[in-house]
Amino acid sequence: MLTAITRAFRTPDLRNKLLFTLGIIALFRLGSVLPTPGVNAENVRRCLEQAQAGDAGNIYGMVQLFSGGALLKLSVFALGIMPYITASIILQLLVVVIPRLEALKKEGQAGTAKITQYTRYLTIGLSILQSTAFVALARTGQLFQQCQEDVLLNDDVFTVVTMVITMTAGTAVIMWLGELITDRGVGNGMSILIFTQVIAVFPAELVNIFRQNSFAFAAVMVVGVFMIAAVVFVEQAQRRLPVQYAKRMVGRRMYGGTSTYIPLKVNQAGIIPVIFASSLLYLPQLVTTLFAGQEQPNVVVQWISTNLATGDTPVYMATFFLLIVFFTYFYVSITFNPVEVADNMKKYGGFIPGIRPGRPTAEYLNYVLTRLTAPGALYLGLISMVPIVALAVAGASQNFPFGGTSILIMVGVGLDTVKQIESQLQQRNYEGFLK
Amino acid sequence: MASIPQLFRRFLERPGSLDLAPFERVVARAAEREERIRALDELPVPPTDDLAEFCAIAREAAHRTLGLRPYDVQLVGTLALLAGNVAEMATGEGKTLSGAMAAAGYALQGKRVHVISVNDYLARRDAEWMGPLYEALGVSVGWIGQTSTPEERREAYEQEVTYGSVSEIGFDVLRDRLATGAADLVLPEPNVALIDEADSVLVDEARVPLVLAGAADPGAAVPKTAALVRQLMRGHHYEIDEQGRNVFLTPAGTDAVETALGGDNLYDAPETVSEVNLALHAHALLTRDIDYIVREGRVQLINHSRGRVSLLQRWPDGLQAAVEAKEALPASETGEILDSITVQGLITRYPEKCGMTGTAVAVGEQLREFYDLQVAVIPPNVPCVRADDPDVLFATVTDRDMALVNKITEVHATGQPILIGTLDVAESERLALTLSGRDLDCVVLNAKNDAEEASIIAKAGERGTITVSTQMAGRGTDIRLGDGVAGLGGLYVIGSGRHSSSRLDDQLRGRAGRQGDPGGSAFYVSLEDELITRFAPDERPPAAERDGVVRNKRGGQIVGHAQRVAEGANLEIHRNTWRYTRLLEHQRALVLERRDKVLHGDAAADALARARPERWAELLESAGEAVLHEAARQIVLFHLDRAWTTHVAFLSDLREGIHLRVLGRMNPLDEFHREAVTAYQSLLAEIESEAVATFETAPIGPDGIDLDGAGLKRPTATWTYMVQDNPFGTAWERILKRVTDKVRGRS
Repeated sequence: MLTAITRAFRTPDLRNKLLFTLGIIALFRLGSVLPTPGVNAENVRRCLEQAQAGDAGNIYGMVQLFSGGALLKLSVFALGIMPYITASIILQLLVVVIPRLEALKKEGQAGTAKITQYTRYLTIGLSILQSTAFVALARTGQLFQQCQEDVLLNDDVFTVVTMVITMTAGTAVIMWLGELITDRGVGNGMSILIFTQVIAVFPAELVNIFRQNSFAFAAVMVVGVFMIAAVVFVEQAQRRLPVQYAKRMVGRRMYGGTSTYIPLKVNQAGIIPVIFASSLLYLPQLVTTLFAGQEQPNVVVQWISTNLATGDTPVYMATFFLLIVFFTYFYVSITFNPVEVADNMKKYGGFIPGIRPGRPTAEYLNYVLTRLTAPGALYLGLISMVPIVALAVAGASQNFPFGGTSILIMVGVGLDTVKQIESQLQQRNYEGFLK
Repeated sequence: MASIPQLFRRFLERPGSLDLAPFERVVARAAEREERIRALDELPVPPTDDLAEFCAIAREAAHRTLGLRPYDVQLVGTLALLAGNVAEMATGEGKTLSGAMAAAGYALQGKRVHVISVNDYLARRDAEWMGPLYEALGVSVGWIGQTSTPEERREAYEQEVTYGSVSEIGFDVLRDRLATGAADLVLPEPNVALIDEADSVLVDEARVPLVLAGAADPGAAVPKTAALVRQLMRGHHYEIDEQGRNVFLTPAGTDAVETALGGDNLYDAPETVSEVNLALHAHALLTRDIDYIVREGRVQLINHSRGRVSLLQRWPDGLQAAVEAKEALPASETGEILDSITVQGLITRYPEKCGMTGTAVAVGEQLREFYDLQVAVIPPNVPCVRADDPDVLFATVTDRDMALVNKITEVHATGQPILIGTLDVAESERLALTLSGRDLDCVVLNAKNDAEEASIIAKAGERGTITVSTQMAGRGTDIRLGDGVAGLGGLYVIGSGRHSSSRLDDQLRGRAGRQGDPGGSAFYVSLEDELITRFAPDERPPAAERDGVVRNKRGGQIVGHAQRVAEGANLEIHRNTWRYTRLLEHQRALVLERRDKVLHGDAAADALARARPERWAELLESAGEAVLHEAARQIVLFHLDRAWTTHVAFLSDLREGIHLRVLGRMNPLDEFHREAVTAYQSLLAEIESEAVATFETAPIGPDGIDLDGAGLKRPTATWTYMVQDNPFGTAWERILKRVTDKVRGRS
């Protein structure tokens, strides 16, 4: 991986692409720490410290993860890329519902370009909504409930409108930066930006741990490195099912079977199950916040607040684990339809040697996939449990930086980007092999 | 570009720029200019003053030699071409003449010009027609066609201007790459490409790479399998997909085949599966007279985008043999792919390029993306007054055909000539039959009688003529109106269905209304046309009215939508072809560099002498130096070509199944590159070691190397094939599709 990057830096146009990407990332980080006009940066910092110390830190955990800490800093890029991601998901759903959009999508490039344009408009709309809601929270002091300081310098309409406009414009700029990386840099722009935000919180948290306990720091580093290695290993593990295309008469040499195969990954589902499971587990926390004011909470609420609202109870851990296993199976069954794959292969004259196309092939695929998904689901569950278990064992109040989600995102995007760099390198560095 | 007409007018109107001196003096001046411009060869573009002067001379020359006096707009076209643009000039504006003047202009600058057209007929016609003009300007001209011999080709390419079809020039490039001696080469260094019908060549033809295949083994006839397949029933034993592009056995079909073949599991024997699949493909998907014709005991392919027979084209991978078995013809030789080139790879060889067509703006974006060419729109000389009637849409083919014949009868009664553009050969013949049933005489112009093309076209504008044509008459053919026809309303063009691209529709329409002639056009479309059933199968069309005509606005929208989907799909194919071949082109360039060193130098001899010095010394004694060098060259060339062919075969095999990688969330293109590069890395070492091994054992005597004895037998037909990419969609699309399928209760 490192050799690939050093080699890439020796290839002029790839070097330019890498530097361009790094430049964009720097800009992106700058915007993430730059406070929006009207924010009392000093007070925000103090409130943040308080919030991190208290229990409330948990509620914003996920939001913070994706915004790299920008959200609660009320910075220019506070909203991060979430509005864009939400907008693209909404549009993809709308394509199914609205016939006009479906027609556009089928018309190829020109149609897709129009849908992308709609996605951008929707992103702006969503950012206006989100930034308004967010600024309103900040203005009434609800953003940091335990903190009594005023986070805004003053709360007249002009300041509020300025803040909304700034954050919305910030989102538009982020969108543009992401597209710039995709077009002229390396890797997928949006993934790279998420990646940046995920690792952006690392240094501060590590320093934090180091200050408190240098032994814990060493332990965290060892566990972290081990986990990254484990994730890299499993992410690349795959089962290859050979496929032959029998439309051509094979001449003197047989190629089939060596390079034509269906790669089934051990972790076929990727990171989605973890995100689904964590999102679902925010609901109990929400419930307890809603009923927090009640004098005499009923039994269910009480049970929830003791067992599911915090991550260090056995019930929470078991639920989290089971949810991840469930979502892994669910997601794999939805994205990989053995019947569809088998039909497609049949249509184009492909078959797995020894197995009839059509139903028998689908059954075989299903058999292999089910057996492969079991270790995949266990792996996802275990990786995601690590930070929670660490939290319970160490009893430490600070966040464990190598959370399952962060590591999966980090390794996933990292591997994809390095692969892309390598492929571009290979296309350029021929002369080296030849002469 | 808007400034060119003004610029041009200014120079033309300048006193003295139009020389009215005797013609001899004009010619003499042209020669004089030639020398002067040659001396100034470093200048990339001649100054505008010279251009204006050149235009004036060329106009005069055209007037005196061809009897055609170019209009101002034609000269504007010439200037646009000389500036390296794609000139959009409406049909009948005289593109051929503009192009010839531009070609002469480039030639006088000392550059070699290849005028690339869509087919051999146009290449030859234009070269011969424009010959006198070139001669007057002191420029030599030649042409090549499908039947030209290597000597004729070499001579044609030696001329300053050479006319040829894109496939002929492409195949010459491919054949040159396999030449075993420097004297066998045909093509000179590429200079300037002037592309006629640029959208057709650069966009339509670019979807499919040109593939050079060598006949390696005598074909294995599979009449037994053909007979077996003939007994299978559609629906029960096999099914055809909605798009009609693939056929596959059902479980019942597999049972039937397994029983007939002895009862073993069919899918344990890939060879047999291939044989059965090919026979089934030939039986169920390829129809005589639509996809191919049988002429002189041979199967000949029909090229759909041109509606012509492609003499040298064959189907790949045994499909040809399967079709021959179906038609009970003797099997011809099977081939193997020796090398391939995309139109893009061919055109980008030329440092300078320009083009002309009637429909360029619609593909302007693609011309920019793939070829870095800009479009210049040339205004018509006389505004077009053709009356384009709106499309008439029918629910069924039967209703459409009825109305079409009625319309033809009605227009024919007025004496107006009619040109009917059909979509395929079978349809053109069916329509001709119906018309003769109505006592209407018509002439058919299709792939079966392309030899008579010129004479048919010459008469198509006469009073009362009915011409039924396939796409072939859509391009480059000029229909002149007969006496008194203009008074009747000119030529009336009817399209029996929209084409897969609106450009092709416009080309057909453009046959009428040339040079301000009167004319009319209409398209008779049916909702059962392949365009709609294939590209908009899910749309629910509105109901037809009593007379079978669909007047609801929605109907027209569906037709437009289907056409846009088709255009989008074709663009995607083009882009994919390019993406996947770019790497191949790069690898090929490197291999060719090496090959050139072997072919023109002593690289082979050096390498072999270094690898096996004793054997070299020994042979030097017995065979002599010159013979030994030649033998070394032949050995290395053989293994180089052999290895490259194997590499190309490996890549096309890899390409076919690469979309499966999407299922493991990998990018197929990146994966393709990764494997292709790994395979390439071992290529040169393999060539070297095999060449050395042959050198050790090959019988080399004073008469040279015994190639057959050393096992170095070289193969010597051409075909094209289509490519497709990820049929699975992205992960998101898959989720959404499954969810919607569930919601709509389909799966």
